[in-house]
Amino acid sequence: MANFNTDAKKEMVYDAIVIGSGISGGWAAKELCEKGLKTLVLERGRIVQHVKDYPTMNLDPWDTELRGGLTPEQRKKHQVSIRTNWVGTDTAHFWADDEANPYTEVKPFLWLRAHQMGGRSLLWGKQTYRWSDLDFEANSKDGHGVDWPIRYKDIEPWYTYVEKFAGISGEPLGLPQLPDSHFLPPMELNCVEKHVKSRIEKEFDGRHLIIGRCAHLTVPHNGRGQCQYRNRCSRGCPYGAYFSSNSVTLPAAHATGKLTIRPFSIVQSIIYDDTNDKATGVRIIDAETNEDIEYSAKVIFCNASTLSTTQILLNSKSNRFENGFGNDSGELGHNLMDHTYRVGAMGKVEGFDDKYYKGRRPNGIYIPRYWNVDEKTKNDKFLRGFGYQGGGYRGGNAANKENFGADFKESILKPGPWEFFITGFAECLPYHDNQVSLNTDVLDKWGQPTLAIDAEFKENERAANKQIQEDAVEMLQKSGLKDVVGFNNEHPPGYGVHEMGTARMGLDPKTSVLNEFNQVHAAKNVFVTDGACMTSSSCVNPSLTYMAITARAANHAVSELKKMNL
Amino acid sequence: MHRRSALKKTGLLAGAAVAMPTMLSLLQSCENEPRLTWKPEFFTMEEAATIGTLVEMILPRTDTPGALDVKVDVFIDKVISQIYDLEGQQNMRDEISAFNNRCKEKFGTVFVSLDESKRVEVLKAEEKSSGKFNPSIWGTTIGDQEPIGFYRSMKSMAIWAYFTSEEIGERVLSYDPIPRSYEPCKPLSEIGNRWSL
Repeated sequence: MANFNTDAKKEMVYDAIVIGSGISGGWAAKELCEKGLKTLVLERGRIVQHVKDYPTMNLDPWDTELRGGLTPEQRKKHQVSIRTNWVGTDTAHFWADDEANPYTEVKPFLWLRAHQMGGRSLLWGKQTYRWSDLDFEANSKDGHGVDWPIRYKDIEPWYTYVEKFAGISGEPLGLPQLPDSHFLPPMELNCVEKHVKSRIEKEFDGRHLIIGRCAHLTVPHNGRGQCQYRNRCSRGCPYGAYFSSNSVTLPAAHATGKLTIRPFSIVQSIIYDDTNDKATGVRIIDAETNEDIEYSAKVIFCNASTLSTTQILLNSKSNRFENGFGNDSGELGHNLMDHTYRVGAMGKVEGFDDKYYKGRRPNGIYIPRYWNVDEKTKNDKFLRGFGYQGGGYRGGNAANKENFGADFKESILKPGPWEFFITGFAECLPYHDNQVSLNTDVLDKWGQPTLAIDAEFKENERAANKQIQEDAVEMLQKSGLKDVVGFNNEHPPGYGVHEMGTARMGLDPKTSVLNEFNQVHAAKNVFVTDGACMTSSSCVNPSLTYMAITARAANHAVSELKKMNL
Repeated sequence: MHRRSALKKTGLLAGAAVAMPTMLSLLQSCENEPRLTWKPEFFTMEEAATIGTLVEMILPRTDTPGALDVKVDVFIDKVISQIYDLEGQQNMRDEISAFNNRCKEKFGTVFVSLDESKRVEVLKAEEKSSGKFNPSIWGTTIGDQEPIGFYRSMKSMAIWAYFTSEEIGERVLSYDPIPRSYEPCKPLSEIGNRWSL
C-alpha cells in the first residue's frame, strides 16, 4: 500500500491545492495529479490507509467486549451522528468528533461529518445514479432557484469517464429521467423482490422496480477485487470492492508521484490577492499543534463537503470580499437542500417461507421517479419528484412473539418472515432562506467561528412525502403484501446526508457563486466541486454527479492553466 | 448445521447428563440466599438472580445451549454497567424492582422464589402487558412507538446477547463471514438456521 507523501512545503507554490479528500476531493486530486499538476491535498483529519487502517473490517460481534455498543463517553463524542442509530464501535472511528466541532441548529439539522482522509467516502451509501435534463432544467421550468449553467450533454461524457474508473454495477433501463450508466453486471434481486417487481410493473404503468445501481464491484475491476457480500462496507473494504477515495482515487493520485496529502490541516481561509483578482493560497491551522501555516498554489479546489466548504468561504474575508469569498451575489450560504426520506411503507410477504438467501448484499432495490416526468404524469400536488429505495429480506422481531421457552427458542433460530419495504427520497426545492451563516459566539476547539444552520423542509416537500406514503401503501397492497403499514417519520434536513447548495452554480454572477465550470465568478482560480455547487437537488443520490462535475472542472482547470488563463 | 453436533462442538453436552441443575438450585443456596458463580459489575446478587432466572426461562437449555450457557446474564450486566447512562441504570433498577413487586402482589414473593408454574404464569402475563417493538428501517423505528416495558426490553436484550455470543453466532446459527457471492433464492433446507451475521 502506498506510503503517502505527507511532507507539505511552505516555501513551494503548488500547482494545485485540494481542500478535503472525500468523494469529490479524491477525484480532484486524481485528475489534477494525472494531468501533471503538483497537488497538495489538505485533510483536516488523520491519514487512513486502505486496508491497514480498517481495524474493525473482520470483527464478528463477539470479538468486541460490548458487541458494538457505545459507552456514554463515546455517545457524547458522537452526539450528533448517533442520532441516526448508524454508529457503533465498528464505525465510530470514522465519524467526526461532534464535541470538538460544534454547530448551532437554528432549526433542527443533522450535520453528519467524517473527519479523516477519505471523509464520508468510507461511510456513504454507494447508490449511484445519473441525473438527467429533467433535473438540470427543473429550476428554469418552474422558476424555483436559478437555472443550472449546464445540461446533461455537458456532463454526460464525464459520467461515463468516472463510471469506467469507479466501477458502477447496475442494469440498463433506457429511462430518460434516469439515464443508464456505463455498467458492470448488476447484483441480483431476491425472489420476493422479483415478485413485487412483477406485480408493480403489471399494476402501474410507467413504474419500474430495479436493483440498486451502486458503486460496488460485481466483477474485478482496475486491480480491485469484487464484492464478497459481507456487507461490512462502512468499516472499510479490504477488497476495495466499493468506491472510496482511500481505495480508488487517492492511490491513483499517489501513483503519479505528484501528490502530497497533509493530514490534521484545518483550512481557516482562502487567501485573496486583490491586485490580481485571484486566490494565492490557503491558511491552515494544524489541528495537533495549533500552528498557523500558509500554503500557496495556482489553483484551489474546495472539496471540504458542502457545508464545510461554505464555512471556509464565509470565513475568507478580505477588503474585496467583506461578506465571504466570492460572495458578490449574497447567495453564499443560501439555498441549502437535502433529500427527504424515511417516508414509505412496509409489509409481510407470504409464500416464500421455504426460500432464503446466502450472502449479505450491500444494496437494495430502486423505483425510479414516475411523477412529473412528462405532461402525462403531471401531479398537481407537488413539484418535481421522488424515487424509492428499499428491499426484501427475512426479518421480523423475535422479541415480539408472545412466547418464551424451549419452543420459542427453537422457532427464533429459524429465519423470520419475509418483509419488504420502500422509502421515498424526494427532491427539495432551493429556498433562499434555507441558509447557513458564521456564528462567532460559538467557537470550535481551534478558536474558529462555527456554523449556524437554519433550514427546514417546506410545503412542497411535505406534499411530496404525502404522495410517497400513499403510493407506497398502494403499491405494496397491490403486490399482495400482508399487514402493510405506511409510515411518515418526517425528519429535519441533514438526515438524508445529501446536503447540497450554499455556493450554487449559475449563469449570472449577480445570483450565483460559481460559473458553469465551478469557478468562483470573481476568482476564477478557485473551484468548488463538492455538494456546495449544486443548483438544485434532483431526487436521486448526488455522489456520482459530484464525481463527474469534479472531473470535468479539474480538466477545465488544467486546460485553463495551460492557456495561462488562471 | 445439526444442533447436536453443534452442541458437541461447544462442549456444553459434556457433563449435561451427569447433572442438569434446575434454575432454583443453581441460583439459590439452602439458606434461600441468591448465589452466583460470577461477580456482577452492576446488578446486586438479587437482581442478577432475577435476570438469570428470567433469561433462562425465555431461552432455556434444550439440545442447544440456553441463555445461561452462553452467559447472557453476564453480558446484560456488562451492557447495563458500561453502556447505560446513570439514568438508564437507575431506571433498570426500578424496573426490576417493579417486576418483583408484581410477583409479590400476585403470589406473595419475588420472582426467583416462585415455583416453575407460577413463574410461567408471571411471564405469560408479562407477554400480554408488555408493548411490542415497531419495525425499524435503516436504524429508524417507524411510526409512533408505544412504551415497551421491562419484560419485552429484557427479552429483546437477551435475544441480542444470545445471538451475538460466539457459541450461538458461530456454531448454532448459520455462520458465513465471507459469503463471496449473493445467492438470492436458495432452498431454506440448504441453509438451515438463520444467518448470524
